[in-house]
Amino acid sequence: MEILRTENLNFIYPDGRQALSDISFSLEEGEMMCVCGPTGSGKSTLLRLLKRELSPRGEKSGDIFISGRKQEELSDFEAATRIGFVFQRPDMQIVTDKVWHELAFGLENIGIKQNEIRRRVCEIAGYFGMESWFDRSTDSLSGGQKQLLNLASVMVMQPDILILDEPVSQLDPITASDFIATLTKLCREFGISIIAAEQRLGELIPVSDRILAIKDGKTVAFGETRDCVRTLIKDEAFAVSMPASVKLYEKIMSASGKENPKETDNASHEEKTIKTDSATLKEEPINTDRATLAEEPVRTGITHSKEDHKGGDIPLSVGEGRRFLKEYLKSPESDPRILSEVSGSEDTRTLHEDDKENAAEKQAVSRVEANKENAAEKQADRDKKDSRRKDIETVLEFKEVYLKYERNGRDILRACGFKVGKGEVFCILGGNGAGKSTAISAAAGLIKPYSGKIRVFGKNIGDYKGQELYNECVAMLPQDVQTVFITDEINGRHPYDLSGGEQQLAALDIVLASKPKLLLLDEPTKGLDAVLGEELKKKLKKLAADGVTIVIVSHDIEFSASIADRCAMLFNGEVVSVGEARDFFKGNYFYTTAYNRIMRGMQAEK
Amino acid sequence: MKPLEKYNPAVLFIYFLLLASLVMFAANPVMTMIAFVAMNSAAVVYAGNGLGRAYIFYAVIFVLTSLANPVFSHNGVTVLLVVNDNPITLEAVLYGVMTGFTILSVLLLFRVFSTLMTSDRLLYIFGRAFPKLGLLLSMTLRFVPLFGRQRRKIENTQKTLGLYKNENAIDTIKGKLSILSAMTTWGLENGIVTADSMSARGYGIKRSRTSFSMYRFERSDAFMLCAVLLSCGFIFLGIAIDKLKTDFYPRIELSEVSAYALISYVLYALIAFFPFVAKLAEREAQKKLFKESCDNSVNRERIEKRDSV
Repeated sequence: MEILRTENLNFIYPDGRQALSDISFSLEEGEMMCVCGPTGSGKSTLLRLLKRELSPRGEKSGDIFISGRKQEELSDFEAATRIGFVFQRPDMQIVTDKVWHELAFGLENIGIKQNEIRRRVCEIAGYFGMESWFDRSTDSLSGGQKQLLNLASVMVMQPDILILDEPVSQLDPITASDFIATLTKLCREFGISIIAAEQRLGELIPVSDRILAIKDGKTVAFGETRDCVRTLIKDEAFAVSMPASVKLYEKIMSASGKENPKETDNASHEEKTIKTDSATLKEEPINTDRATLAEEPVRTGITHSKEDHKGGDIPLSVGEGRRFLKEYLKSPESDPRILSEVSGSEDTRTLHEDDKENAAEKQAVSRVEANKENAAEKQADRDKKDSRRKDIETVLEFKEVYLKYERNGRDILRACGFKVGKGEVFCILGGNGAGKSTAISAAAGLIKPYSGKIRVFGKNIGDYKGQELYNECVAMLPQDVQTVFITDEINGRHPYDLSGGEQQLAALDIVLASKPKLLLLDEPTKGLDAVLGEELKKKLKKLAADGVTIVIVSHDIEFSASIADRCAMLFNGEVVSVGEARDFFKGNYFYTTAYNRIMRGMQAEK
Repeated sequence: MKPLEKYNPAVLFIYFLLLASLVMFAANPVMTMIAFVAMNSAAVVYAGNGLGRAYIFYAVIFVLTSLANPVFSHNGVTVLLVVNDNPITLEAVLYGVMTGFTILSVLLLFRVFSTLMTSDRLLYIFGRAFPKLGLLLSMTLRFVPLFGRQRRKIENTQKTLGLYKNENAIDTIKGKLSILSAMTTWGLENGIVTADSMSARGYGIKRSRTSFSMYRFERSDAFMLCAVLLSCGFIFLGIAIDKLKTDFYPRIELSEVSAYALISYVLYALIAFFPFVAKLAEREAQKKLFKESCDNSVNRERIEKRDSV
């Protein structure tokens, strides 16, 4: 049953900016829809229009139907309870001081009786596994717990439709994938219809039924996930944020010089799914079931045809990606060289001084992997590099650093030690609570260890007097970039009016104004979309080429893999492994890029 | 018998209110001593953290109040000594000592009160009477620590950005001011999100808002409330009809020992010692249970071992 539909939705902000033009889509009950699009494409505006209480001020035309009724016809009570909304920033949407009170807040508003509230609150807390922190104050929760609480306190109102505006962009990847798993469960087990906007699509696309892609307020694609992905991967603005398996598929397909075999067969199907034309929509409301039914003969024809099999369904998840790759490698006309090409093209360090060497080495690596002969040569290469590193001046050094916040508390850093050379990009990876942020704050001289030494440019950090340390020497981009903004205007706009990603880059510019020689970045990719992520990458690479040493702590494995010279893994306050980025990620099983997870062990098979 | 903190906050609040007024107004040495011992024991089991250090402060208060009275009050017939033509009387000294004990008892009582009456308990009490105020209080309790944390974060960031360039007072004040302004902007901007989050969950729709709380009013609460109200009422009545009166001036005259007074003392001791006894009883019960379960598991292991052999 159709639960939500928009028809020719247009929206113009009071300043005359057209945020949405002719957006038409529909959503079936119990389906999950992913809304994607670059920053400023109008995702948030669309989502807010769907929730009546949050409609922005401006000129709206077109209709929104909820279960066949116009949005305006809903009573206040229905509007509040039937549609739930979860925002981006976990902290600011929490209203009260205790977890249980936050859960009850919505129910109090709509005047539910005590006993009923108790039953519902306890039920939802049980379902979301919140018993152990049910009595805690909301202030003491982790980011993931806060976002889960926000979800639960909306779910307690028992909505039919759940709208989420970039719910996981402020969370680390592991917490984010847990959160999306919870969403999937709600969708599959309770038939809740979910609309989620997100920039990191790797997790969301494999579980969503439909995609609505918008750019500049216009529909780029709408329809069943795989069909849309097929279209979007051709579109530069969207291709960067696609899951790794999709990118791999596209690369292999284009590298093998073959047109996607489904492409032509699918043209008719795509026409049906990508509907910007309202006339078609009205005549024939989108119904995936029917669409698939109609296409069934064509589809089965494709999947059964052996020739076309490797070009079959586009792989969305890592698992599917592995299956696809295996199939591909088995097929007679597969070319093992493509594999190394694909893996090589992923990390492009074009601006590095040792780029040529890198490329040569990379080729060597792929050759080695193909015929497993040149191991000795590789080792020699590595040794040469190592010896060269020894000559480089050490910029930042941690020497058995112990640090804790409370006198009787546990050690946040224990025997933490590493060295960073001049001009290096050094990434520190690790899970939640591993001590990453603590380590970087210590490097910035904001907190002091109780034992061990931190040296910056060979000088003890404690020996820097006053502001000396921050005077064209060390600068840090904090995790919460809003703390950087102290003026009300950046290029004529208020910093808070910028999108999350733009804020990140603006903050980086402010930080760079002090011309640091050592740049410390705490989760620089938080809230960044793929396009701005590329921009950040470029900026950092240029800085590194100019001889600025960059230390990054991040959850973002894909980003770290693409930018770091060396990586360190922090676990429980301790550096457990350090290595060249490539070896580091190849050696890891869980803590590695989606690419590496897809490619793991693949070469051995052939 | 359950320890004090497990009772409904409203009952707790009434208990503390009545007990505190009894401690303050019953100017009776017997009751003062009962209260003093009882409040000490309660403070030890309920608010034992840092109590040792607090006692130093209490001792100072005690000495000061005990000394102040004979210095300023020269009533009484038994003159102990004369200082600068002012008689220091035994009655005034004893009255001062009793005041000291009373003040100490009240302080200890408030110590227990503030440990047990956490924000959500107070919220429960006031949220019922004034729902709007209750929500406001809850939101304040949420945002005060949030703001504090944000301020520290901004301060740290700005420090690395060279906000306090020179270490002089003017620069520091300038820096603090710009942090204050940044905080204001941050608070206003993010307050919009909070407001959105509230209206998205139906705040302000035309329905009467209810106020939810995790606390229930159980039978033991009703029993406790009745017991406290009745016994305190009995004692207050005794004070009103002078059955528990003690005169200090001009000479100490204890009220005659009556049945009424004796019953009052017993009731007073019961309610004053209740928190301490209830806590001890709970601890004992738990200890016993734990021991039993240990014994059981040991026995079970023994049996299993025997069986396996």
